[in-house]
Amino acid sequence: MLTAVVIRSGQALQVHLVSSETSGEPVDLSQCEFKPEATNPTKCGPGPSPIIPEMKELAWGAGSFIVFALLMRFFLFPRLKKGMDSRYNSIREGHENADSTRASARSEVAQYEAAVVAAKAEAAKVVDAARATLETERQAAITAANARIATQREAAMAAADAARTAGRSQVESAVVDVVSSAVEIATGKRPDGSAVSRAVADAMSAGVR
Amino acid sequence: MIALEFPPINEILRWKDLFPTFNKIALIAVLAAVIGTLIFLLAGNKDAKVAPKGIRNFAESIVEFIENGIVMQTMGRDGLGWTPFLLSLFSFIYLCNVPGIIPFLQMPATARMALPVFLSLLVWVVFIVTGFKHQGLGYIKSSLFPPGVPKALYILVTPIEFISTFLVRPFSLTVRLFANMLAGHILLVTFGLLSEALFQAKGNPALIPVGVLPLFMLIFLTGFEVLVAFLQAYIFTILTAVYIGGAAHPEH
Repeated sequence: MLTAVVIRSGQALQVHLVSSETSGEPVDLSQCEFKPEATNPTKCGPGPSPIIPEMKELAWGAGSFIVFALLMRFFLFPRLKKGMDSRYNSIREGHENADSTRASARSEVAQYEAAVVAAKAEAAKVVDAARATLETERQAAITAANARIATQREAAMAAADAARTAGRSQVESAVVDVVSSAVEIATGKRPDGSAVSRAVADAMSAGVR
Repeated sequence: MIALEFPPINEILRWKDLFPTFNKIALIAVLAAVIGTLIFLLAGNKDAKVAPKGIRNFAESIVEFIENGIVMQTMGRDGLGWTPFLLSLFSFIYLCNVPGIIPFLQMPATARMALPVFLSLLVWVVFIVTGFKHQGLGYIKSSLFPPGVPKALYILVTPIEFISTFLVRPFSLTVRLFANMLAGHILLVTFGLLSEALFQAKGNPALIPVGVLPLFMLIFLTGFEVLVAFLQAYIFTILTAVYIGGAAHPEH
């Protein structure tokens, strides 16, 4: 069987075909490694097949994976997942608490707003009642004042009428005296007092009008 | 003139045994299991009641990604019991893929056939057992005789369904993961070797600056391999979820 051997020295690579039968030396693949600068490459065979699985790799790979998968299944994953679930649950509870707190706050705000509306309505009612009371009292006061004014006006008018009547009577008496004196001077005879009085009264009444 | 000979594929896969029956691929597989265990162990030790940060945040993000991005999308709420298995699968494959770009390791364990074969066969056994557990012998009927197909077509459909469901699925899972990771590894090796050869081209100094181009490509592909590592782990896991979901609930 021929084996391709590549020797690299400096820039050049040399390829030799070596027959393992002619060399007579057993080839130990397990001790070989690809090295471009290999000094004694003839001790190495063609290397492992890239297609055929090697038993030692299969055994170690399978063993490693099986141990890893079992650890993951029974120890690593449950531990990690438990922590994740616990945190997610706590976050979910936090969200739920926040939601309930928000709902409660909204309910309290609604109650507060309802109370504010009720208080405003109550205040408006009180203000309206006070305004009505004040209006009533104002009307009463105005009425009383008007009544007082009317009384005083009537009194004043009565006083004025009395004064006018008294003045007129005095004027009328003086006019009667003057007229009587004038008639007496003119005629030499004193006129009838009642007739003069009546005539003066008629004349004054006509003149006042 | 520069002579560049690309080594055969099997040579770039040749690793010295660390000790008999334990090579670098085995080391990466063990490291993947240990690192995965440590990540979830440390995450589980953190206080779960406070907002997660650091490693706990990282682990919870992976769990939520598996639950919301894979299980709920493919199996629904009933499939949440599969989360630990799918989480193990995704984490393990990703941690086996990523060493392809980690210095000194520089080899994805899934670029060798052993791990993809084992994982695919495991998934194959799991979804078939799940099918029989949920449907009994009806699983065979629902798998091979899809409802709504005219009876005459069963002559064609039944062998196709048998091959695609029971034979091709593990094969395609294996090849998809293995080939993608091996191709990425070969690409990185190619551009690494090309860049190195150009930088060391003593005979023609004009070629030395040209070495920057494959170096940039190497850097770009290294970043791309991070995406591929994630994508292949995701594809393998979501296909597993689809197969299990289909076996458990054929009506879906």
